[in-house]
Amino acid sequence: MIQLLNTLLIGITAGSIYSLMAIAMVLVWRSTRVVNFAQAGMALLSTYFGYEVIQLTHSYWIALPVAMLAGAVVASAIELIIMRLLLKHSSQGAIASIAPIIATLGLLGLIKSVIGYFWGNQDLSLESPLSNVGFTLGSDTLAISPLKLFIIIAVAFLVLTLSFIFQKTNLGLALRASAYSPEISRLAGIKVDLVRTIGWALAGAAGGAAGMLQTANGTGTLSPDSLEFSLLLAFGFIAAVIGGLDSLVGAVIGALVLGLVLAFVLTYIGGSLVFITAFVLLLVILLIRPGGIISQKAGRRA
Amino acid sequence: MHKLKSNNISRLIGFVVFGIFLLYLSNTIDELRVYQGATVAMYVVAISSIILLTGYSGQVSLGHGALLAVGGYGAALVRNNLHAPVWLSFAAAVLIAALCGALLGVTAARLSGPYLAGTTLALAVGLPSIANQFKFLGGEQGLIFDIGLPPASLGETFSQYKWFFWIAALTALIAMWWLQNLLRSRYGRIWRAVRTQSVAAELAGINVARAKILAFTVSAGLAGLAGALLSMTISTVSPGAFPLSLSFALATGAVLSGVTTLGGVMIGAVTLVAIPEIADALTQRFGASENVINSLPGLMVSGLLIVVVLFVPNGPVEQIRHRRKK
Repeated sequence: MIQLLNTLLIGITAGSIYSLMAIAMVLVWRSTRVVNFAQAGMALLSTYFGYEVIQLTHSYWIALPVAMLAGAVVASAIELIIMRLLLKHSSQGAIASIAPIIATLGLLGLIKSVIGYFWGNQDLSLESPLSNVGFTLGSDTLAISPLKLFIIIAVAFLVLTLSFIFQKTNLGLALRASAYSPEISRLAGIKVDLVRTIGWALAGAAGGAAGMLQTANGTGTLSPDSLEFSLLLAFGFIAAVIGGLDSLVGAVIGALVLGLVLAFVLTYIGGSLVFITAFVLLLVILLIRPGGIISQKAGRRA
Repeated sequence: MHKLKSNNISRLIGFVVFGIFLLYLSNTIDELRVYQGATVAMYVVAISSIILLTGYSGQVSLGHGALLAVGGYGAALVRNNLHAPVWLSFAAAVLIAALCGALLGVTAARLSGPYLAGTTLALAVGLPSIANQFKFLGGEQGLIFDIGLPPASLGETFSQYKWFFWIAALTALIAMWWLQNLLRSRYGRIWRAVRTQSVAAELAGINVARAKILAFTVSAGLAGLAGALLSMTISTVSPGAFPLSLSFALATGAVLSGVTTLGGVMIGAVTLVAIPEIADALTQRFGASENVINSLPGLMVSGLLIVVVLFVPNGPVEQIRHRRKK
């Protein structure tokens, strides 16, 4: 019984971090129709900025918002410098479908080498802000600690803020309009290019938060090739695709489903099957609903 | 018709001449270069499998590393358990990977763009780790794939690396020649039709789904062959030999070569092998710090990739052809 509860808790914590990454993917996809593989790299870079701030101030609580800000700045810079050029040059022909994918893959490599240049390949350790020792229930230890509780609350807060921005503000309306039809939005007086940059900035901030939280939740070490960030890259993306790439709600649901399923496999079957389970889950969901769980369009044909 | 045939023959002669040239080359350069030559041949096969898939049938795969792994394990299992000759283990690698590709292709044909990229990415992350779960796949250490010493009739000075190179180069040449012909056949035209206008292709009576699945199958078979070659050059197959970065490197190579034509495949393959060398030479010449040494190759590859995608998206070969037409 306690094992079941703990598995659920582990799944929810992991899933909530993936959901931030998935939301970042969705924001970028909605604003520029680009699947951003560099998202994990951007998150990693923001976390390194957070690390520097911790070195200076010894406070995780200052570092977290700074990392998010850094993520936003990096993301907008990438959108301004590279993505605009990309959309101008390679939007036709056979390359159009893969150019954005390849460009963001290139960016991922570029960011990793930049990190390698400034910080080297060794592991840096990021002090955890709260205790990661689980609460106890009678004689059992629960898989929820002050740190994990904070992660879940922080993610819930960020997700709610983002959905508020999307649903209730003029900026959200502009974001949704320019994703739906750039041409019409332009005619209606929306500065589509600016809105796109803002979409990227929001995604960068979400990614920065995901990076800081994931590092604290995991081993607490930071390196350009750390496993934590490969997990963020792969699982954030899989969660977004499961959820349907177009919907913020879908991203959260997809991430939680993924987190829970993986936690159950990890506890009851074995660690080495985790990755292939993610693949099978993705495959099954896409076979039933080719556009993800929350998809407005009818399924794609052949 | 007659012209087509003579074209075919002249192309075959071209391949044979190139093969003889490589044979001559392998006798004049040093061991390290010969070994790198074998790696180039492996990349040629792997990259061409991606070009076939993306450039000719319009599907995206970020998971070809996984198919290479399937081929490598297939070859090693057949070689170790059935004591099959090398060529038979290569053939097995092709068949097993093609079978996986067909299964994957059935799913892939239903998906488009980012959804397909996501599925193949998940495959690349997931598949190699299966080896840890099953004992007969050898876990983290993997399996040994030993193709044996070069035949004694080649002389005593004939090294193992040169033997690798001969096998890899011959395999790559045969594969390329076959692929050239395939892409000029009915199937090549069908794939191109599907890529450029799938609705029009369907109206012309082409079964789009079947064409896509076939493309995925052939591409996977080639990837399996590349996997067998890769395992041959490192003598083992293990999950660590097929990381996500291998899949990304292959996609990089395909873009550097130009995804729309097979003509530039050597460019991508040579670049992938040459960049670490060049970075090494640069850092030695200018005496750089450790951080620079570690990050320079990655920086060069990614920088080159971004520049190519932004400014010559269709690849250097297509760009030159385009210029000439003007």
